[in-house]
Amino acid sequence: MGSSKLWLLILGMAAVTYIPRAIPAVLIEKIHFGRRTEKFLRLIPYTAMTAMIFPGVWSTDPSNPVIGIAGGLTAALLAWRKCPVMVCVLAAIAVDFLLYLVL
Amino acid sequence: MKREFLSGVRAAVPVILGTVPVGIAFAVMARQAGLTVAQTSGMSLLVCAGASQMMAVGMYAQGAGLLAMILATFILNLRHLIMSTCVMHPLRGEKAAWKLLAAFGVTDETFAIFTTEQEEHHTISFFLGLVAVIYSAWNLSTLAGALASSLLPDIVSASLGIAIYAMFIGILTPSLTGNRRMLALAALTAVCNTLLTQVIPSSWALIASTLVCAWLGTFFVDIDGKGEQHGQQ
Repeated sequence: MGSSKLWLLILGMAAVTYIPRAIPAVLIEKIHFGRRTEKFLRLIPYTAMTAMIFPGVWSTDPSNPVIGIAGGLTAALLAWRKCPVMVCVLAAIAVDFLLYLVL
Repeated sequence: MKREFLSGVRAAVPVILGTVPVGIAFAVMARQAGLTVAQTSGMSLLVCAGASQMMAVGMYAQGAGLLAMILATFILNLRHLIMSTCVMHPLRGEKAAWKLLAAFGVTDETFAIFTTEQEEHHTISFFLGLVAVIYSAWNLSTLAGALASSLLPDIVSASLGIAIYAMFIGILTPSLTGNRRMLALAALTAVCNTLLTQVIPSSWALIASTLVCAWLGTFFVDIDGKGEQHGQQ
């Protein structure tokens, strides 16, 4: 695949990514939600984030399940102890880095 | 308005460290797959959706066709239709042009921060503040990764793989502690998505479990309280 085809790929990806993002921006004024739908929309962030974590986190390194488990547990423990997101991320990276050193 | 923009900027700062490692990891993958520095950065500038970019360069490295890669990107990013609906819901009445600009910045990260913020911050200025930071961090880290890809030891790029998960865990966990019903919903979603991923492609599984479990949640979860303030809203 040549350079121009790669740019075509990038433009195509940009288009198919922007369209689903833009549709709600255009249509939101025309739709009104009932109580249950509103609650449904407010719950989506939590279910979406959970689904982005599980089961993906287990296969962070498909050949080494311990990497995802140790890093994920580190982040969860720190977040549960009310640490900022930044600390959770750095600590998880540090734990995985150390694990790679000993593995 | 300016103050709201700045609060958005401030709210995004802790998440930069979640975004940067992913940007670097993507750039390293893209360079290894044979993209130039300009193409690697161009993809981050124009697409701005990390997971799909990684998937596309992965497919490219394996010799996939143009249409297959674009279709896979479309399916993987269809979740932004749902996320953008949640982001746009409190932004009703804002100017169309601003909303179309904001829509470009709907990513897993900006959606996660914005929708879990207190209601007073549900303004377009706040959201654009978030987007400004996350978009800059994403593109600067892509550029840095693309330029330095050959210098980074394998062990470092491998350790960065956990960053995106750690970030979502860091954002999600505080909403679950002290709210058992929400925790139950998260557990249900985790199980549901794990099972679905075994039988259908994971991007479809993600969309299906997000929607089905959120719908089930409307019957038993109390978002703001711990269950005891039922019916007082």
